[in-house]
Amino acid sequence: MTGASDETAMAPVPVGVTADPSVAEQSDAGPSDPQPFDAGPFAAGPSDRGLAMAGAGLAGAGSGVPGARWRRLSRRSMVVRPLTDLVRLLPLLAGLLILHSRTGSGLLWGAAASVFAIVTGLVHWATTRYLITDERVYLRRGLLNQKTLSVARDRVRTVDVTAHLLHRALGVCRVSIGTGRNDLRSSENFHLDGVTRADAESLRLVLLSGVGEFGADEPAAAPARPQAAPAEPGEAPALAGQSALAGQSAAAGQPAAAGPAALAGQPVLAERTTEMVRLRVSWLLFAPLTMTGLVVLGVLFGAILQITNATDINLAATGPVRHVVADFTAFSVLQRILVGGSVVLVGYVLIAMAGYIAVFWNFRLAGQGADTLRVTRGLLSIRATTISLSRLRGVEISEPLLLRAARGARCVAIATGLHVGRGAERDGSALVPPAPRAVAQRVASAVLGLPDDICSGPLESHGRAARRRRYTRALAGAVLIIAAICLATWAQDGPAWVWVASLALLPASALIAADRYRSLGHRLAGGWLVSRTGSLARRRNIISADAIIGWRIHQTWFQRRQGLLTLTATTAAGQQHYSVRDIPVADGLALAAAATGDLLLPFLQERAAADP
Amino acid sequence: MTTDNVVADPLLPGLRVPGNRVSRRAISYWTARAAASGAVVVAVELVLAAVSGFPAIWRAAIVVTATFVGLHAIIMPRWRYRVHRWEVTDEALYTRSGWFSVHWRIAPISRIQTIDSHRSVGERLFGLANVTATTASAAGPVRIHGLDRELADRLLDQLAVATGQTPGDAT
Repeated sequence: MTGASDETAMAPVPVGVTADPSVAEQSDAGPSDPQPFDAGPFAAGPSDRGLAMAGAGLAGAGSGVPGARWRRLSRRSMVVRPLTDLVRLLPLLAGLLILHSRTGSGLLWGAAASVFAIVTGLVHWATTRYLITDERVYLRRGLLNQKTLSVARDRVRTVDVTAHLLHRALGVCRVSIGTGRNDLRSSENFHLDGVTRADAESLRLVLLSGVGEFGADEPAAAPARPQAAPAEPGEAPALAGQSALAGQSAAAGQPAAAGPAALAGQPVLAERTTEMVRLRVSWLLFAPLTMTGLVVLGVLFGAILQITNATDINLAATGPVRHVVADFTAFSVLQRILVGGSVVLVGYVLIAMAGYIAVFWNFRLAGQGADTLRVTRGLLSIRATTISLSRLRGVEISEPLLLRAARGARCVAIATGLHVGRGAERDGSALVPPAPRAVAQRVASAVLGLPDDICSGPLESHGRAARRRRYTRALAGAVLIIAAICLATWAQDGPAWVWVASLALLPASALIAADRYRSLGHRLAGGWLVSRTGSLARRRNIISADAIIGWRIHQTWFQRRQGLLTLTATTAAGQQHYSVRDIPVADGLALAAAATGDLLLPFLQERAAADP
Repeated sequence: MTTDNVVADPLLPGLRVPGNRVSRRAISYWTARAAASGAVVVAVELVLAAVSGFPAIWRAAIVVTATFVGLHAIIMPRWRYRVHRWEVTDEALYTRSGWFSVHWRIAPISRIQTIDSHRSVGERLFGLANVTATTASAAGPVRIHGLDRELADRLLDQLAVATGQTPGDAT
């Protein structure tokens, strides 16, 4: 199921479709020479390009090619945009109208807003242009803040055409061009708001069929299509609809849906299902040791507040609660603490276990065929996730402090297309729920086919400077907090025990610092980069060196004094970046060079030459 | 555009310095930007102080803030200019940025997904632009700030061609 999202996005496009004539003409006119300025990178282009071309920076794409021309959005977008803006502003405008209805300035505000909306609509239309050449797609927009986006047509994976009501009324749509880029900020998205339907359709055909033409050895989409088509002819359109809506998440959700179809279509592979992990009831004991219980508690509390607010019931005034409160106040202080504490503890444990059961009941991880993993779990809503091994780039073994104290751990997949969220969301990519550490380690190494000691073995420590940094940071933080508390008690004439008690932060932070240093470590073995950090939430990340698509080296002024640096590998999978913190400079560079030799070596300087 | 004069990075022995500096005008731009944002803070303080009739503590706060803003506007841009460097080789885009904290970034040309240029109002006033190359990793964009406008345009073209050479979806 590689390229699942690609495949579905392409499903509506018939294979080998011929683009309509107008489009063909346009793309034919594009540059046939892939490198129109081979005279050297900076020799190209007239140096005195005027403001007209400024912001585009597309001398190569535009001026070198007579036929390829910049296109604008549909004129109708000038209407769509102000109207959508006004609809969005409607509540505000209504409020202003009511507020100022006596003075009549409400109308003025309304008029001003309308004028503003109309002007921005005009500007948006006038400044947005796009250009499609043989190799790339360009998009320019912005009047004051000018922006040029460009993407190689090879990299275009999805073309989503959407139209809301207003769009449909005017016969325009919004085209979003999806690349492999995982940028989370929407302002950088590659989208055209307000092209005519015909233009959108031809854009889609050109861009997606172009992928087929230009990259024979290329996207996963191309090979995936013929495989999937016979297996699930009826399902394809439905899935395509899903993926258009779900975007990224389609990669996670959709393979699960396609699982049964694969089962029917490929019986030979489907037979070989090997179970790797199944939930054991005894693992429930780990439930109270994670944060999941707290999250459930928070949700419950929120729900109760909502209900009492909505129904106007004063919970404290109801009979049963009053009885309990009355009984409780009859106790002595010691009894109160004991009773209260045990009630809270038992309640928390029960809730945490209930949460664990709801999320992980019937948890089962199985290898399906040669190249997929299948995770099924859940009590009420059953989730099934299928992870293609070809998309799996590593695993993360996390041991929150309490779980670690009980020799427990959990394991999360690091895969492209599976977003690693926080808290409960993390469970989406769980390979092992909170369970004995040995299980998590065994599964991690089995899934990736690793030698055991990568998941459990010792790591290279980061040395004295890193340890000193752990202590200085922890203690400095503690001292700051203590100082703030002292200042506050002094200013408020508070009791002395407050600041005396706050001194307990010092040994606590020293303990954490010691543990943080103990956790800190890295290792590179057999093409796997292992890094471990953290104390309260200790994580061992194991990622494939092949999955590293860039490096970031970060050094604060303090780190520079201590000869340390933080090395971050960027990747398209999981959390997108995995760091080795506070590694000595020489070790860090050697590690990066060893992990991805070709990438870093050109930028390394011999140590001998560096020392004067 | 590989530079021949390989210079060891004094900030991080072991790495070499990226070949190119950013435009000198970036210093003025960063100064103006720092001064403008600092001026806003001081102005807000002035208004608040004026409301309460300029008590001594407010005056002290304003003096401290103004000194800090002034020093920042003078020191930061020059320091930053000495740090900011970039280089494009056939294989990778290599940048160094920051001032108090320094970032080095390396992105292989073959993994670049999109190339964008952006010019804010302030940058346009100083004839500057910045270029962003994004990779398939959300954590991987490489930004070159404070480039001369025409240089940025040419860099955009150069990178567009270079990334076009590598087929595939670059994840």
